[in-house]
Amino acid sequence: MPPQVQQVLDTLNAELPLEGYLVVGAIMFAIGAWGALIRRNAVVVFMCVELMINAVNLTLVAFADYLPGARGLGQSYAVLVIAIAAAEVAVGLAIVLAVFRSRRTVNVDEINSMKG
Amino acid sequence: MIVAFAFLAGMTLVSAMGVVISRNVVHSALFMSGSFLGVAGFFVMLNAPALAAFQVLIYVGAVTVVILFGIMFTQKPQVRRFRTILNAQRWAGFFVAAGVGAFLAFILSIQNWGATSSGNGTRGVAAFARNLLGVTQGSEIFTLLFEVASVLLLVAVVAAIVVSRRKTGEGVDRGVEE
Repeated sequence: MPPQVQQVLDTLNAELPLEGYLVVGAIMFAIGAWGALIRRNAVVVFMCVELMINAVNLTLVAFADYLPGARGLGQSYAVLVIAIAAAEVAVGLAIVLAVFRSRRTVNVDEINSMKG
Repeated sequence: MIVAFAFLAGMTLVSAMGVVISRNVVHSALFMSGSFLGVAGFFVMLNAPALAAFQVLIYVGAVTVVILFGIMFTQKPQVRRFRTILNAQRWAGFFVAAGVGAFLAFILSIQNWGATSSGNGTRGVAAFARNLLGVTQGSEIFTLLFEVASVLLLVAVVAAIVVSRRKTGEGVDRGVEE
């Protein structure tokens, strides 16, 4: 095998830096925050919150795998976050259903009955 | 490694963008499951195969289905114009989100993380489960967190039923006889 090919293969198989995962998590969190801020539909706002939760999970698991002092506990935190996010989705969609029954809309800028 | 990372990063981020900018809500939900699948691939790359399985089962399976049910109950037909899916703060929201993303990426990049190397996580399911149950030395807090999470799940299930329950003679679709 020529050395150039070996070099390219080594580059492709090299271990990724921790920052790669962290930056992907940060960008995913920002996209989720963007959607939660600008969308009108409450169900889409929930989806964007789920994206943000997933970005944080990705960051936790990356820390658990890369930092020696973490001893893999980030994975356990990620499991707890997944369980709490599932509970949040169940309660949130129940609230959306209840609001839709009484107001006939799920647009967050039309639901202002609690505005002072 | 780098090819898999680039593929998964592209899949995750493009699907996340699709959630935000697609006009059809059902397309948003399907884009969201694509993004979750990308994160599951990242978990496999990060030596957490059990967590990747949880991610596929809970997020790609359960959460997407629950959100599709929510869409089915609450949505009108698809909107035609792009402006109608966004609210009044669209530019302020864009700048705030771009600022948050740039700030987080910058801080996480310049931070000195010390000696980092891949493979420190608990790859085996047995060690992972001992961590989660708080049996391992140094993870005792998880005994409490595990119990709190179980109580929270129970309360959330009861609350979801109570909040979304249809009272007698109330609401829009009264066809069901009580």
